[in-house]
Amino acid sequence: MTHPTIDRKPVHWAAKMHAQEFHDGKLSRREFLTRATALGVSSAAAYGMIGLAMPTPASAQAASGGTLRVQMGVRPLKDPRTYDWSEMGNQSRGTLEYLVEYNNDGSIRGMLLDSWEINDDATQYTLNIRPGITWNNGDPFTAEDVARNIAGWCDKSMEGNSMVGRFSTIVDDATGQALDGSIEVVDDLTVRLNLPTSDISLIAGMTDYPAAIVHSSYQTDDFTQNVGTGPYLLETLEVGVKCILVRNPDHAWWGNEVYGEPKVDRIEYIDFGTDPSAWMAALESDEVDMLHETVGEFIDVLDDLGYVKSEVVTMASVVVRPNQLAEVDGMKPYADKRVRKALQMAVDNAVCLELGYGDRGKPAENHHVGYIHPEYAELPPQVVDPAAAKALMEEAGMMDFEHELMSIDDDWRKNTTDAVAAQLRDAGFKVKRTVLPGSTFWNDWTKYPFSSTNWNHRPLGVQIHALAYKSGEAWNEFGWENPEFDALLADALKLADADKRREVMAKMEALIQEEGVTIQPYWRSLYRHMREGVENADQHIAFEHHHYKWGVLS
Amino acid sequence: MGLFILRRSGVMILTALCLTFIVFFLTNLFPNLEKLAKTQGNFRMSDEAVISWLSKEGYMQPLPVKYGQWLGVLPGWTLQGDDGVTGRCIKGAVTADEAEQAKRFCGILQGDWGYSTVFKDEVSGIISTRLGLTGKLMFWVLVLMVPSALLVGVLAGMREGSVTDRALSTFSIITTATPEYVSGVVFIAVFASSAVGLKWFKGTATSAMESANFENFFLPVLTIALYGMGYIARMTRASMTEVMTAQYIRTARLKGVKFSNIVMKHALRNALIAPFTVIMLQFPWLLNGVVIVETLFNYKGFGWVLVQAASNNDIELLLAVSVVSVIVVLVTQLISDIGYVYLNPRIRIS
Repeated sequence: MTHPTIDRKPVHWAAKMHAQEFHDGKLSRREFLTRATALGVSSAAAYGMIGLAMPTPASAQAASGGTLRVQMGVRPLKDPRTYDWSEMGNQSRGTLEYLVEYNNDGSIRGMLLDSWEINDDATQYTLNIRPGITWNNGDPFTAEDVARNIAGWCDKSMEGNSMVGRFSTIVDDATGQALDGSIEVVDDLTVRLNLPTSDISLIAGMTDYPAAIVHSSYQTDDFTQNVGTGPYLLETLEVGVKCILVRNPDHAWWGNEVYGEPKVDRIEYIDFGTDPSAWMAALESDEVDMLHETVGEFIDVLDDLGYVKSEVVTMASVVVRPNQLAEVDGMKPYADKRVRKALQMAVDNAVCLELGYGDRGKPAENHHVGYIHPEYAELPPQVVDPAAAKALMEEAGMMDFEHELMSIDDDWRKNTTDAVAAQLRDAGFKVKRTVLPGSTFWNDWTKYPFSSTNWNHRPLGVQIHALAYKSGEAWNEFGWENPEFDALLADALKLADADKRREVMAKMEALIQEEGVTIQPYWRSLYRHMREGVENADQHIAFEHHHYKWGVLS
Repeated sequence: MGLFILRRSGVMILTALCLTFIVFFLTNLFPNLEKLAKTQGNFRMSDEAVISWLSKEGYMQPLPVKYGQWLGVLPGWTLQGDDGVTGRCIKGAVTADEAEQAKRFCGILQGDWGYSTVFKDEVSGIISTRLGLTGKLMFWVLVLMVPSALLVGVLAGMREGSVTDRALSTFSIITTATPEYVSGVVFIAVFASSAVGLKWFKGTATSAMESANFENFFLPVLTIALYGMGYIARMTRASMTEVMTAQYIRTARLKGVKFSNIVMKHALRNALIAPFTVIMLQFPWLLNGVVIVETLFNYKGFGWVLVQAASNNDIELLLAVSVVSVIVVLVTQLISDIGYVYLNPRIRIS
């Protein structure tokens, strides 16, 4: 790459500013890369702007061909917009690709999009589609396809459509559809998004797993028949048992020239349930070559057994939260701020990290924005004071209330929730622990009065807040509705400059802490183990499987 | 005899009807339907949305009507919606003309077992695949369990109180007193994991679903077989010791018949009557009792389907599981009753 931007336009002013910030030590390398590439600077140029050489990917030795067997829960598929599991994205990613791809170094690179430009106040996005892409039924991939998908993302009437949250800026509240004129097809290969207000997070929103690009013939009766742009086909989908992807021999994949030909012929996802010891047994028995994720004590065990470990530090987390709208015995116990604050004050996050996740991560600050997010603002440390917590709970008159704390039956989420429960009991509160099996836990996850939920990494702090903390959002499991916060969030989403955004973010963080919305104990590192000979299949920061990079030595 | 089989079949159908009605009633309790609506539709549905989803899918009809439709004695529901006609016997929304063409009845009497909401697949297909897999497991369990149990039981029972008897009885009691979830874990730890390092077998039987071999299939088979083996061996031993004290055996001994001949020719057939019933009783237990072992070794058979269906309130799958279970239990009982007549001429079926 000889030109600094992927679209051969001048470098965005903010990117240059961020480079200066990097040199001043205000930004980390990862933060800089996320911001600069989101502004349309190519990865190589972004590295160049801060005086570094782009790391070359480990040279692949694996020959073409072979089968890679991966342990992963196999879930029923549905419309991608309603996906609520990264596994679903992985099952369909071989066929249904994404516009852009988020990588472990924090950079975003184009997939179906060749490049994009954002104007200075982030109200206009120009999306340049990669030329020469075809669907696997032979149809050309055009701007119309992109426009249709984006319009679909903005469809509020679609039940469970989580893309609405990511694209809310261009959604018309009155009609529940995209605003008139907001999605403009300029020519066959260019789409322009005209935003009524600034929003900086649209490109980052396109990296998320519900943003899969589907063909106009997409249907949900038989998922193996769907048309996509990817190099693989979904051959078998047996929910709870297995899911098999095979190379599509009749389709000329666009990426062959751009990112290299995919190596593996066949990818088999095999479901080994939710018990991590079964995953380990699967790896040890040579039933699989790689795990989707290694958790808890099994990380050390598999290290000792000599398997190859891949680790990535993320802003993935867990929240142990009360739901303010939930009714228990005819009252709403968590509508009272004092109760929530008391719960929060009684819990030491460092203890949760130690007991729940074996100290593999960093303690967090109960506001769900962390040091990797560009707009993270450091607040004064939280006070852990069980005595004060007890006093607060007494003041609220809720000392006799028995809190039922629910969690899924697994390793780290259960342990973390146990650690929270133990600390609450130490503070003198009555706590009943309920552990639900994985097959039933998710049926009602946003509705439980008091429970724990894992949250994936997202590139920007405002994205998480827009998805889960904004009033009335599908994934707002806190039942928290705060107009002041919503207004601050709307402001933050207009600020392309992370330093300005940080000032607003400081208020948002403080508000979430102050309101006692959740206990968010730590940021976790993610791990994956594989046997020797599996190549370029590192754990991804958002659990994505980039099949075309994988290789396997038999 | 014909009348007896006929009567038994009648009882079987009646039992199946009662049982499925109970399952139907329980799975159609409103909280369960609400859970179903929220898993299938959207987890944040309001109460009104839940009701509208349930009525749209035909779940809000009176219970006997729904049961009749499932059986296939009442015509399936149809509903005129915005985007066409939907119905029990119709896939998706179709036009009114197409709806006219569709079958009116579609219950199990018409061979339509329904659609699984968890697996997004036809129930009949799921049941036959998973039953086949459990059948394979059961077959190998029986091949291992029955001969070894009879051998142990006969050896122990032929000389009551001897060292052989004591040793084999101890062995039987230990195996039958150890539940599968204990022995299975111990076997995996000892024979399959790096903890002990033997690694003779595989700790999971997932690949055995497609190609079973000694390495990946022996541990689950052994785990189930050992548990049942102790039980059958104890029964055989009791029956054998009783026969060995019978007067005709004493007479044979006094006449100087060789001990091996006494056991093989005179005692064995009489001693096998009681174990026969016990072995037949193992079938229903194997069918559902393998739930633990199937989960432990991640072998996706009938027990696994039962767990998945029950925990997700998958109504039609759960009903099919109960029908199959009733049939297996009653058919094996029928076989055991008839077999009894042949083994023991003193018993007649009138």
